[in-house]
Amino acid sequence: MNILSFSHEKLPFLLINVVLFGLFSIILWKIHISFEMILIVGLAWFVPLIIAYLLEYGKKRRYYQHLIDYQESLDKKYLLPEILERPTFLEGAIVQDAIEIAYKQMHEHINIYKREQKDYQEYIETWVHEIKTPLSSAKLILNNRDIDYGVIQELDRTEQFIEQVLYFARSNNVSEDYLISKFSLREVVTRVAKKNAKDFIYKKIKLYLGELNEMVYSDKKWVEFILNQIVVNAIQYSKKASSEIQITSTPYDNKVVLQIKDNGIGIKKKDLPRVFDKGFTGETGRTYSKSTGLGLYLCKRLADKLNLGISIESKQNIHTTVFLVFPMNKSLLMEP
Amino acid sequence: MNRFKILIIEDEPIIRDELRDHLQNAGYKTDVVTEFQDILSYVRKSSPDLILLDINLPYIDGYTLSREIRKESNVPIIIVTSRDNEMDELLSINLGADDFITKPYNLQILTARIEALFKRTYVNQSNNVLSCGELILDIAKGAVYYHDKQQILTKNELKILHYLMQHRGTIISRETMMEYLWSSDLFVDDNTLSVNMTRLRRKLEKLGITNPIETRRGLGYVMS
Repeated sequence: MNILSFSHEKLPFLLINVVLFGLFSIILWKIHISFEMILIVGLAWFVPLIIAYLLEYGKKRRYYQHLIDYQESLDKKYLLPEILERPTFLEGAIVQDAIEIAYKQMHEHINIYKREQKDYQEYIETWVHEIKTPLSSAKLILNNRDIDYGVIQELDRTEQFIEQVLYFARSNNVSEDYLISKFSLREVVTRVAKKNAKDFIYKKIKLYLGELNEMVYSDKKWVEFILNQIVVNAIQYSKKASSEIQITSTPYDNKVVLQIKDNGIGIKKKDLPRVFDKGFTGETGRTYSKSTGLGLYLCKRLADKLNLGISIESKQNIHTTVFLVFPMNKSLLMEP
Repeated sequence: MNRFKILIIEDEPIIRDELRDHLQNAGYKTDVVTEFQDILSYVRKSSPDLILLDINLPYIDGYTLSREIRKESNVPIIIVTSRDNEMDELLSINLGADDFITKPYNLQILTARIEALFKRTYVNQSNNVLSCGELILDIAKGAVYYHDKQQILTKNELKILHYLMQHRGTIISRETMMEYLWSSDLFVDDNTLSVNMTRLRRKLEKLGITNPIETRRGLGYVMS
């Protein structure tokens, strides 16, 4: 808002006044009023008018300039009504009141959804927690009686899908359900390897582990989940013969890269950019018909929340390699 | 073969019974809690060597209980839970539990953790020596003796022989053997197992034992 645009808006009213004053002066001049007198009338007419306009301009300019400045500088633009001072002029006050009411209602509205989402997340957590008891019982029963027939493996898969539900619920924006701690990559990799031991053994997949001596900072459980998804994929898309999965790590100046490489069927080049998309299964996924398109999407989502990098390279029929990048903050590392 | 007594505190009857059966099969003495009103005095009476503790119990939660037990005893406690997050794990360890396992657990892993915990806690009492007739296996030294001769074993060979000696007379399939090795952090594949098996046989033969480990084609290995 500047003086030019302001006067532009007031122009019609000013013009009417000028025209009226013109007509009025003609009448005055016809009845032989002196030129000086007409000038005085003119001053009495226009000086207060212009002063009133200038005052109005001053008030409005202050308010609107704040509005624009705040709007530009605010990170969360919807917070604007909270910090704007109440205007001293009528229209401004009316609009501001209306905006504030709308803002408050929207706030309540959003809170309802937040609560609902939180309720839902809590329900999912409880449900996952409860479903594990019968699942445990079933596995124990089978284990103790040496009955298997592949049932245990199916239960393991069921368990994996249940985990997915849990981490999907945890990965939303409202949730802050993670805890950063220091742990060794070997510890997590070992856990994941053991979890999938049966698959490795029965499908005769060779597992090669690097030294994995690096310590990283992140949430251990989430990383375990991400890694498990990647390993499960690697197992699922392995070839029939001489399969191998290599898990190695490389330290750099400011990061540690964990690399999971398989020599499986690989991913088509045109599918590669979309593997982290929700629901994307690609041709491979569809042919194998087991893919839900959720595994890698979840990995990406969780990795993003933890500030971990995740990327994938592949060559069809040669290999698929997933890179998990742990940033290493130097200041963190120097702490005892 | 070992006289350790494990107390199972779990309110789900099926899981409780199955765990008991499994641990008994693994050679442990077991005791179970069936009344949850006053677990603490039951623990006192039972005086176990290790406690498997479920978090979700009627009347009292596992965390509180573990803190109460810790006040009067140093018995190793493994907390078992279906809640799976970092916070719970930290909480349990802070409240005096020695280990933390999430449901649904793999029995191999559970047994391995129990064994490890026993080894850690009762290192002097635990039987580091296993014998089978004239054949003596010293786990701590990683060596096997037969009459006055000695052979040093690698980690893999040691584990294999240990398992075969423990299950003397029963046929162990290659897969079972590998699952056991994996549960002890030895991620061997099929070929490695064959190589290790051959080396182990040769070492045992050098000691003067003829046909120490039989191969049953299509079934597995057996030691008699």
